[in-house]
Amino acid sequence: MAKQSFTLNVNGKDHRVRVEPDEPLLWVLRDNLRLTGSKFGCGVGICGACSVLIDGVARRSCCIQVANVSQGQKIITIEGLGTLENLLPLQKAFVDYTAFCCGFCTPGMIITATALLARNPSPSREEIIQAMDHNLCRCGSYINIIEAIESFVKDQRGEKSE
Amino acid sequence: MSVSRRQFLKAMGGAGLLYAVRFAPGSEPQDKTYDVFPMDIDDDECVAAILDIDYSEWIVLGPDGKVSIFTGRTELGQGLKTVLAAVVTQGLEIPQGKLTIVQGDTELCPDDGPTTGSSATKYVGWGYWIACEKIRADLISRASRSLGIPVSELHYRNGGVGRKGTRNVLKGAFELGSGQVVKLSVDPRASSSNDKTYVDLGIPNVNAKKIVTGKLKYVGDLYIPGVLYAGWLSQPYHPKQTVLKSTDLSAARAIPGVKMVEVIGGRVAVVAERYNDVLKSLDAVNAEWSVPQRSEILQLEEESRSRAELFEVKEQEGNVDAGLAVSDLVVSETYTTQYTTQAPMETDTAIARMEDGGKRATVWASSQHPHRAREIVSKFLGIPESSIQVIGMPLGGGFGGKTSNPVTMEAAGLARFVEAPVKLIYSRKDQFQLRGRFKAACVIDLTTGVSANGKMMARKIDIIHDMGFGTTNTYTIPHTLTNVYHADWPFKRAVSRGTSFVQTCFAVESHVDMVAAALGIDPLEFRRNNVRFQAFVSLLDVCAEMIGYYNSQQGPNSGVGMAIVNHGGSQLGAVAAEVKVNPSTGKVTVKKICGAFDIGTVINRNTATVGIRGAITWGIGYALYEEIILNGHRTETEDLMAYHIPRFSDIPPVEIAFLDNYQPGSPRGCGEMPVIPTIGAIANAVYRAIGVRFYSTPITPEKVKKALQGA
Repeated sequence: MAKQSFTLNVNGKDHRVRVEPDEPLLWVLRDNLRLTGSKFGCGVGICGACSVLIDGVARRSCCIQVANVSQGQKIITIEGLGTLENLLPLQKAFVDYTAFCCGFCTPGMIITATALLARNPSPSREEIIQAMDHNLCRCGSYINIIEAIESFVKDQRGEKSE
Repeated sequence: MSVSRRQFLKAMGGAGLLYAVRFAPGSEPQDKTYDVFPMDIDDDECVAAILDIDYSEWIVLGPDGKVSIFTGRTELGQGLKTVLAAVVTQGLEIPQGKLTIVQGDTELCPDDGPTTGSSATKYVGWGYWIACEKIRADLISRASRSLGIPVSELHYRNGGVGRKGTRNVLKGAFELGSGQVVKLSVDPRASSSNDKTYVDLGIPNVNAKKIVTGKLKYVGDLYIPGVLYAGWLSQPYHPKQTVLKSTDLSAARAIPGVKMVEVIGGRVAVVAERYNDVLKSLDAVNAEWSVPQRSEILQLEEESRSRAELFEVKEQEGNVDAGLAVSDLVVSETYTTQYTTQAPMETDTAIARMEDGGKRATVWASSQHPHRAREIVSKFLGIPESSIQVIGMPLGGGFGGKTSNPVTMEAAGLARFVEAPVKLIYSRKDQFQLRGRFKAACVIDLTTGVSANGKMMARKIDIIHDMGFGTTNTYTIPHTLTNVYHADWPFKRAVSRGTSFVQTCFAVESHVDMVAAALGIDPLEFRRNNVRFQAFVSLLDVCAEMIGYYNSQQGPNSGVGMAIVNHGGSQLGAVAAEVKVNPSTGKVTVKKICGAFDIGTVINRNTATVGIRGAITWGIGYALYEEIILNGHRTETEDLMAYHIPRFSDIPPVEIAFLDNYQPGSPRGCGEMPVIPTIGAIANAVYRAIGVRFYSTPITPEKVKKALQGA
């Protein structure tokens, strides 16, 4: 398959890449743009370590061919959220609640939680579990992740009521 | 291991005072704790002689109050780096910014053995703690000699030594011995300290911000100039039982971007520019494999028995036959457990680069033991270890599966073959099938004799097992005998978040409930009457209180069970589980888990809590879901759909209590132990819920449905 040029809008910037059209988005993000926060965990969309936001929806980048990303779709990776110096509140909640051990699944967890919170700013515990259920964490940090998301929700509510 | 002058100079950063620490667990703490060697760092032999293998951790006090520590142990997610940072910054009273931690780089760090068995926090973390105490004392005595002030008038303070009652530092640590090496011998099980200042720090993971921003670099995230991707063709049968008969590689070679398709060591390897090219090329390989002759794996129990050979007699006390003969009631049962696997989120990955025309190699690895990886790479390439540098990166999970690291050797071999750096990432299928190292299945026969008033009299255990073994020393039984048998299986085995305590404890704790049931005694009361240590009574009572044992509903279809564990004599735990069983689907849902643990000094409550919750998660997976399913010579479970690791919806509320048991002794680690009693507690809860005992794990909906229909 011949290489073609694609323009991807990633983390607010347009990037022109030349790859084969069936290349999974994950590997374009990693190899071409060096955005390595999205991880390879299974390659078949089961584990969620590769999750990115596409127009605000959490998607499995290992299963999306780059040709199927439409022009103008906005891709946000973990690198497009907060920075080391300036964490977003959700990232800070993950830090405060030690919502990880090895951290390999964490970018996918934060991306998936971000998508959930965008469509449902005040999810119940059941709604959090339902939305996050297809992101796997082998260390078993699930309870801490739920606590982090719940604390974020509580803080956001607090700010609103003030 | 020999330490080269080059290595030493790198570690010292040119100058510094180096403390080489030897952990000698079990040995008597030595009164003479250190010797000073002014050493000639220009002399390789002198350096090698002083920094011998036993001194496995280095702490270097450099200029400007900087401290560097060098450990061969790697970061698996257990929080070792966090523990080390906490211990050393507090122990030497230096700010975080002055501390550098170097882990798992064979060029810089001494070999400290594999990072396994909860040993990192247990030995390394606490060992550093004691080492810091000794370093402070050493610096005070050095300052006393240098300043002519009595030791009694000096104190250690903020990275140096000053006069008591003053805030000034008279001599910085670096000034007190630059260029010297002090050997410290530390028994991590003992401490002179009664100071609780350093306990229960509650500090965040030092990698936390990098983790939540996607900036923490795992090995796959490194890009070496000119690096190519590699992959192996997966095989239709278990690799030890099939051979490649013929191949047609032409189509695979024709895929654009492909640099190499070859049969290497009986397997087909592809090297290509992009990972996707590797997958496409592997798909295009035409390969014929021999069909295995014998189908021996299906009948696990029968096969195990036919292969069993007595390996070891353990726990022999009294006379078990006599004890059983005088018992009022004897219960005999057999339990079996399944094969499971570690399934870390990060598959085995390594990058290798040959240098100097093939005379040297650098390997970046996801490894629990980089020095071992260096050894196998050296053997495989036929170049000396001193010409190979293995750099251990943070792991995306290891759980015992990344100690031998064949991926490092394979990446190096492929890099030499294609004369370019190679990044080898195992596919998820590889992780399960080819190099999946399974936690061993076991067959466990148990016979217990009890008196009519509920005292254990005698117990015999026969364990058929195919690797290292652990048993449980939890009950007071006058007559015991445990025989361990080995059965040789065609699989590679490895530990998987805990050793074989897991299998034995499931059987023993299920059996204990059955003995109690036969006696008509409440299983909690039966345990309280027979446990070996008083701490177990406290742990059981705390658990019972947390889960509301005495008011709990025991059947129909819901129940509460308990189990205990003695992990290595130092970590004690009790777990209570509440389950609900759906009689029409057979699904077991865990409603709540309560765990009470005596793990000694808790260094960092944050990492300890997340570690324990994770271990409980593993217990749930082992009890209800996880199983490597073998169909003849095929492994049926080759992805994360078929192999069900616990997910969010599988995890109930978990309550944890630490027995308030501070003692000036070692912390004991906790990332593995809670796995063990969780399994027995769930099995016992299921029994209370539906009155059916499951003699094999996992307790799947199919098994439950079958049992209920048969009843």
